[in-house]
Amino acid sequence: MPRKTKEQIEKETETKPKTTKKQTTKKESAKTPKKVASKKEATSKTTTKKATSKASKKANISKATEKKKTTKKVATSKTNLKKAKSSKKATTPKKKKVEIVEYYDLPYRYNETVVKVLAQTPKTLFIYWDISDKVREQYKEQYGEDFFETTKPILKIYNDTLGYSFEVEINDFANSWYLHVADSKCDYRIELGRKPIIKTEKLNTDYIYITMSNKIESPNDHILFNKEQKMVYFKNVKTGEQTAKSTNSLSFIRNMGKIYNIYDLYKAIYQDENIEEIYDLSNPSSGNPSSRKSFL
Amino acid sequence: MQEKKGYVSFVLHAHLPFIHHPESDDYLEESWLYEAISETYIPLLTNFQKLVEEGVNFRITMSMTPPLLSMLDNKLLQRKYIKYLKKLIELSEKEIKRTAGDERLNKLSHYYFERYSNDLHLFKDVYHCNLIEAFKHFQDIGVLEIITCGATHGYFPILYVNEKTVKAQIAVGVQTYEKYFGKKPRGIWLPECGYVPEADKYLKEFGIDYIITESHGILYADPTPIYGTFAPIVSPEGVIAFGRDIESSRQVWSSINGYPGDFNYREFYRDIGYDADYDYIKPYIAHNGVRVHTGIKYYRITGKTEFKDYYNLQWAKDSAERQAGHFLDCRTAQINNLSQYMETPPIILCPYDAELYGHWWYEGPYWLYILFKKIYYDDCNFELITPSEYIDRYPNIQIASPCRSSWGANGYSEVWLNPTNDYVHRHLHVAGDRMCELANLYPDAKGLKKKALNQCARELLLAQSSDWLFIITNGTMVDYAKKRIKDHIGRFTKLYYQIKENQIDEIFLKDISKKDCVFPDIDYHIYQ
Repeated sequence: MPRKTKEQIEKETETKPKTTKKQTTKKESAKTPKKVASKKEATSKTTTKKATSKASKKANISKATEKKKTTKKVATSKTNLKKAKSSKKATTPKKKKVEIVEYYDLPYRYNETVVKVLAQTPKTLFIYWDISDKVREQYKEQYGEDFFETTKPILKIYNDTLGYSFEVEINDFANSWYLHVADSKCDYRIELGRKPIIKTEKLNTDYIYITMSNKIESPNDHILFNKEQKMVYFKNVKTGEQTAKSTNSLSFIRNMGKIYNIYDLYKAIYQDENIEEIYDLSNPSSGNPSSRKSFL
Repeated sequence: MQEKKGYVSFVLHAHLPFIHHPESDDYLEESWLYEAISETYIPLLTNFQKLVEEGVNFRITMSMTPPLLSMLDNKLLQRKYIKYLKKLIELSEKEIKRTAGDERLNKLSHYYFERYSNDLHLFKDVYHCNLIEAFKHFQDIGVLEIITCGATHGYFPILYVNEKTVKAQIAVGVQTYEKYFGKKPRGIWLPECGYVPEADKYLKEFGIDYIITESHGILYADPTPIYGTFAPIVSPEGVIAFGRDIESSRQVWSSINGYPGDFNYREFYRDIGYDADYDYIKPYIAHNGVRVHTGIKYYRITGKTEFKDYYNLQWAKDSAERQAGHFLDCRTAQINNLSQYMETPPIILCPYDAELYGHWWYEGPYWLYILFKKIYYDDCNFELITPSEYIDRYPNIQIASPCRSSWGANGYSEVWLNPTNDYVHRHLHVAGDRMCELANLYPDAKGLKKKALNQCARELLLAQSSDWLFIITNGTMVDYAKKRIKDHIGRFTKLYYQIKENQIDEIFLKDISKKDCVFPDIDYHIYQ
């Protein structure tokens, strides 16, 4: 199947829906610069066990600190409530007597503290985040009014499969990020935190944990030939009975090699294909770009 | 008769997003359905019928997605399709007069007149406006296996951040199938072939035996499948995965010598909607005067040239027959080659968009018809099979976890997650979480609240259609796709607050329930 790659990750793209006449919550302009950050430093890629435990330990510690913070109840300021209400209003269309006139804009934000991660490709993660006004106030109370000016936002990427982590500095104008990672087929979690630009008396710490993302596994991107594999397992899907066959029986390995050679043959045959050709669309059926092919 | 050494399995994925605008006639996007009915669904049905009448034993598998089924079942859209056909017939009558001086062109005008008149006859008098029943007939007599799909073609690798939303896509997909086909589906076409292992337990819960994946869903599986895509694998959770065959897809799709690019085939992009005199064609194009495809196309691809020659029906048929022969020879050679390395006969799985056949590749349904006839009569080394039949015959399947994958550009999630459309995902995630919140807050809702909760589920599902994200990536009809996302998220959010504040606006609810009338029997408890 010739696959097209019309959509390339562009460095800077305006992604927010265009501001429209009715948007009432326009206070903060919807600037969302996106950058493809690359892995800056991978901490110790040593034994999996050790490092994983280290990473998870750290996560636990930082989680605990967040809990402490959040339990310290801070009265939600009235302004927050107001804000929430007004943003709600923005999604409410005007009503007329005869027919319902609907007009909607996507909510600018949901005012929640969140980091979510998705795998775009085996080695590119997409991360988005937000910090609620309430949580913002809590940090300001604890570390000072200028907390968000005197600290910079950080994403910590945990590779739980290989047991390493690294940090990427982001910025407060962005609310999402594409991130290259070195390893496919690994479990990842992303932690949102902040680092002081300069330490002060009130801000006498190296790092402040904010929140942790969901966990994902990045997709695999290669054939996993495993020479150590001793057995191949089969299941009779009617009876549920499982059987194992030894890979030592030579024919298996030989045949498997031949079958996979067939794919190499395909690659050789079709290597001259131009997959960058222009596709056209006027009828979306399943979203398979190959069906939107211009047959010229 | 030759011993059968292997199998070929065609899977056609029939899908269109739910487009239903009782409030206006101005939405061009509604015509996607009408074009697909005339160019793909009716031609497939008539060719299946021909094969059955000629005593040809064949097998084909089709996924018919819940939104497509809902639209085919919709009375308003059925009426609008008839109106659409009548207009086309009127236009082709005019064309017969207009082209009277040109014999070749005039022959084609007659062809379109007869073809669209026949569509109207078939749709009204033969199928009684019920194409679902027409497809079901072929399933009932055993030549067609129909499988289901996610409720609104929601792309699992994005939704699974909240697994309940994936579960609901599967649940509603299975329920819709049961409603129309009177039994449970054995297979599912994962929307965009988007596979995540997290969905397996829900697939099993709803009785799904098998899925279709892109080639690397199998080739990159863990551990490596010893037969590549030429045999299915079964996941640890018990879901059987069939992978797309690379060679046969290439033959249809190759940009250099793919079948649909044959010079004798009908040129999709030359349509009298664009070519004809503006005042003449104006009543048959968009209401706002924008030129669009009408479905009357007079040219063949001809070559890499702007100077197109007239379409010739016989030449096109000749090409289809030649290519069907080529396909048959290639599969025979492929199976001969493969079967010597395998203990069970190989299966060559050929999945395509159904709308490729007829809509994009006008001669596609005829090509299938000829191919199936050849396979039956030519005593070749393979036969056609459905995935279900293959499983039943060869139930001993290697255990492996399929690779997370999709059939979109580059094989993963770039089409549905990239800088043009990534602003959507947080809204889909929040709405998904809120839907679960509502379902858990109000487990025993009755009356108006229950109606509102069910409508919330519909709005969420419609917002999740992968089609909107795809269209935005593709850059055509973007405004419509963006509007649909805003509308469904907007309606959902408004209802969400109304439910929580116990102030449901009945008129508003009634209005949106009429517009977004997909899945009338939905039960919001699926989000609990």
